[in-house]
Amino acid sequence: MTGRPLTIALPKGRLLTQVLPLLAAAGLDTEGLGASSRRLVLDRGPVRFLICRAADVPTFVEYGAADVGIAGKDVLWEAGRDVAELLDLGVGRCRLVVAVPQASGLTRVQELDFNSRVATKYPRIARRYFNEQGIQVEVIPLHGNIELAPLVGLADAVVDVTETGRTLRDNGLAVVASIGVSTARLIANPVRYKIRSDKIDPLVAALGAAVPPAASPGS
Amino acid sequence: MKEPLYTRRMTPRGLKDFLPKDAARKRAVEAALAAAFARWGYAEVITPTVEFFECLALGDGPELVEKMYRLFDREGHTLALRPEVTTPIGRIVATRLRDEPLPLRLYYIANVFRYEEPQAGRQREFWQAGVELVGAPGPAADAEVIALAATALTAAGLREFRIDIGQVGYFNGIMAGVDLSPDDRRALRRALLRRDYVALEETLARTGLPSEKQRLLRELPRLRGREEAIQRALALADNPASRKAAENLGAVYGALAAYGVAERVYIDLGMIKDLDYYTGMVLEGYAPDLGFPVCTGGRYDNLIGRFGFDCPATGFVVGVERLMLALDAQGGELPGTAPGPQWLLGCDEPGRPRALAAAAALRARGWPVEVDVMDRPLEAALDYARARAVPYVAWYAGPEAVRVFAGPEYRELDPAAVARLMAAAEPGAPWAGGGPHGAGEGRGRGDGARRPGGEAGDGP
Repeated sequence: MTGRPLTIALPKGRLLTQVLPLLAAAGLDTEGLGASSRRLVLDRGPVRFLICRAADVPTFVEYGAADVGIAGKDVLWEAGRDVAELLDLGVGRCRLVVAVPQASGLTRVQELDFNSRVATKYPRIARRYFNEQGIQVEVIPLHGNIELAPLVGLADAVVDVTETGRTLRDNGLAVVASIGVSTARLIANPVRYKIRSDKIDPLVAALGAAVPPAASPGS
Repeated sequence: MKEPLYTRRMTPRGLKDFLPKDAARKRAVEAALAAAFARWGYAEVITPTVEFFECLALGDGPELVEKMYRLFDREGHTLALRPEVTTPIGRIVATRLRDEPLPLRLYYIANVFRYEEPQAGRQREFWQAGVELVGAPGPAADAEVIALAATALTAAGLREFRIDIGQVGYFNGIMAGVDLSPDDRRALRRALLRRDYVALEETLARTGLPSEKQRLLRELPRLRGREEAIQRALALADNPASRKAAENLGAVYGALAAYGVAERVYIDLGMIKDLDYYTGMVLEGYAPDLGFPVCTGGRYDNLIGRFGFDCPATGFVVGVERLMLALDAQGGELPGTAPGPQWLLGCDEPGRPRALAAAAALRARGWPVEVDVMDRPLEAALDYARARAVPYVAWYAGPEAVRVFAGPEYRELDPAAVARLMAAAEPGAPWAGGGPHGAGEGRGRGDGARRPGGEAGDGP
């Protein structure tokens, strides 16, 4: 059941630039994978890379279009796909937070009420989080530039990822709650993980060795 | 996008039609599986689509209960559509088959219903073909079930696949002596079930289990391979229950060699199942082009007991649509892919009795024949045959004349060509037993049992 290349789905964009050094350190040929490339499929010896939208990586992997993939935990939470999570790569660290306009004077999420609207790229995560808090809000799914929504009165709060908090601050937003910490994960199709273990196990070992110890899991 | 009134013309989400081509393929796959089951001595049972919710819930764990379609009867009982068939068979065994000599070998082909997000290879209604070997507690029964799974998949035409087997007693033994809250227990099980090794690490770090237990749980997903995996599992086992489970799996694996399917079978002691009724050996079958298992099963020694009759059992089930996807992905000719007639018989009004007599004779030999009922003239009949890709057309005009046309160009065959065509035919080949020229004269009726086109029969 071997012979075909191991197919790896990679998220295009910011996360990719942080993941590439790890892939290289694990001995993969990553030439031409830089942000400037417009190719969507790259064959590199025994490996085939697919360049996907970050949010689509779990889908490619769940359906077996890719054997393994790299996705942020935020994306995995949101997608809720049935994929094996093999390794915490430590990079791409960011926080999923609830933020409100500084001018609103709110300091706790509990001060949001059922009239409140929450703009987000992560509607599933946002609904689950507010349900768990027992807060009924209206979740407004957007596709980008979430910070804009409170500025123009579309929303009272946002759920978004932030690395340093700067973008939020620059747009007059203040964090009032942290939902979770996300890092990049190596994921695999559960069936391929087993029937292609001859290829995937060494990849897990090599990537595991390449992950900087400072960014080890759980920290 | 037109929104209004879509409910009049569409099916609900997760429910779909099988059009002729897919329906023919499905029948062929099911027939191949049913024939394999029957050859191993399994007899078919058919259970109701709708049962009392209480009955189904007795067998199915919370995961499936949550997904049941539920309804009420007029007495106020809660009913449910079956989400799988093993529980109904458990009910039958514990009630109506209770006094039969054991073991019982039963098979089923049935649609099941789960209210969940339609996912890869699984709609809300999907089809299952499975067997239950009831009343036999030993490894020989588990080995038979595994070997039959491999045999049935092969019989359906699947070339590349493998079957992984595990033993739930190994993990249960590890967890039995562990001091953990139910929540942490669930989290650990879930992490191993979903192969979420990041969550496994986090949970292990959080719960502070003894380091020996941690090492064992970390090693569990790696207990994969062939026989040596069982040796490693035996060496690692820290309790009698796990050791017994590994020994049992070793015995099952050993018994497989004599079936000639051991090449197909791999050990995976890290296999955790989503259904909670399994008690021993568990199995999953994988095809290389499919991102999800094509079959699943295992031993469930306590399920029938819940219906008041303690009786061990083991079995497996094939996802019919998933198997169809796997067959599709491997390419090549599929059985039952070409439903529809081999012949179109057309005629003018005086020629009609002869056309019908010829059709009857051809059908008696097993040929799919279509007779025109639209009063189409010859040209229109040929156009229709072209559009439907019917290979041959015979046209009956008046009391004697007959003309034969062969696709794809539908050029008329001269009498010599027709004769050659018939003469070249071999029994069983598409042209066996003669064509319209011989039709109606009673020739070659002995061939009636043959089915052209390689179809595997009429289904289960």
